[in-house]
Amino acid sequence: MSMDAVFIEGKRKYIFCSDEHGLRVLSSVFEHVRKEKLAYEWYHLSTKTRPFLEDFLRKQKMGTFLYVVLPYSELHIVQTMTARIGFSSDESQFIGYGEKWISVFCCRCHELNRAEEQLTELTCIQCELKLEVSDHYSELHHAFLGYPATS
Amino acid sequence: MKWTGNLAHFPYPFKHSTYRYSNNSIPMKQPLSIEVTPSYNNEMLLKRKLLSDHPERCYQSLPHSITGQWEIVELVIDHLVSQYPKDFSVEKENTSWIFFNKILDEKVEFIFGDENSLSCEPLFFISQHVQEDLIYMRQRDDNLYLDAGQLCFPANWSLAFNIGMKFKNIHHPIPGFKEEGLDQRILQFLMRLEAGTPWERLNWSLMAGDRLDTSLETFDQWGKLRKHVTSDNAGELVHIRVEVQKLFRLPRTNSILFSIHTHLLSLEQLSTNREWLQQFYEIMSELPAHIVEYKGISAYKKAVLEYLEGQLQQLKTL
Repeated sequence: MSMDAVFIEGKRKYIFCSDEHGLRVLSSVFEHVRKEKLAYEWYHLSTKTRPFLEDFLRKQKMGTFLYVVLPYSELHIVQTMTARIGFSSDESQFIGYGEKWISVFCCRCHELNRAEEQLTELTCIQCELKLEVSDHYSELHHAFLGYPATS
Repeated sequence: MKWTGNLAHFPYPFKHSTYRYSNNSIPMKQPLSIEVTPSYNNEMLLKRKLLSDHPERCYQSLPHSITGQWEIVELVIDHLVSQYPKDFSVEKENTSWIFFNKILDEKVEFIFGDENSLSCEPLFFISQHVQEDLIYMRQRDDNLYLDAGQLCFPANWSLAFNIGMKFKNIHHPIPGFKEEGLDQRILQFLMRLEAGTPWERLNWSLMAGDRLDTSLETFDQWGKLRKHVTSDNAGELVHIRVEVQKLFRLPRTNSILFSIHTHLLSLEQLSTNREWLQQFYEIMSELPAHIVEYKGISAYKKAVLEYLEGQLQQLKTL
């Protein structure tokens, strides 16, 4: 996950998906796209537009490149969605900002628990199993696997 | 679920008196993805209950796996009817198929390739008729991805977590697997797998108890038995768990069917074969610590060794 947006050449269309903060992060790439007269579309994310994002992305054609800028706390939701739709890691850039945290997948109930990056143990918010955070990572869930704690 | 068949048919997994991780795959003599054993009825009952009660735990699929799922349906039905014609049959008229499972007295009509003609996904449907767990790995971008699977009898892993994962990432938790370069070698081997030339391998572990369903999700239910193993009860309580794993290339989608048939044998039963007893004792005695730990044997290895020693001693005094 990069901190700066990087322009990728040769795409059929560019989609910029972000909140207000992202406008600034994506400005240089956006200017370049506009200057080169390439096809693009903005999707301004807000509580009103969020429910329609999946439909919007599903309608895009092959060759579309996606830029997403969101707080870390929301980024993984859109990442999971785009993976489900079929965007590969070569067709998208995700840029997070704000407080960094990780998701921990509960091995018993599959709940995704939000945790600070350095945390090694936590209690699942749904089933209350004590979990040990492993380094086994799922790109699809954007989460680390939490095993039953042995201590 | 204990082994009830002839001991000579148990897939005893060892050839040598030491064990290390390796690609021990061999070409299959009889190219069959499935096997019907005397436990068929009991295991189907258990499997169907698990699929019905815990669908998320036991079944996962990504939308683009459907074509591959139909390939699995075709392959498995072909194998069932050719190997067990008295128990299974199929009538095909163009794409209209009628599948008969005579053991369970069931008949399923569907249009091959039409997902709407079944009440569930194709892989879910066919998995309800075989004892094996069925895993679908799709090959793309020079890699293998776990794109669908039915898994009721896992050896302490979670299909729900691993869905969509690349081959190497799936095996990330195995100590030494990456460091020894095994993950890359096995991946290359799998990606070269050819249609019509299936391979098989045996995998093993030990467990306290005789549950087939040892999913990671239920670890808190079955894992605690490890602490109750003693040299007195190890023969009855501890089981060797052997997975017969079969690999078939599915040519239309260039993917792989990975079928897993799990068998359990108590140490008591294993000990009735003198050669197995001696060899297994030697393997357990020198098994490296990282394998002992990963296979979850650490807590009761000592008790198992004491039990096996006792059995060997008895044989000497006979």
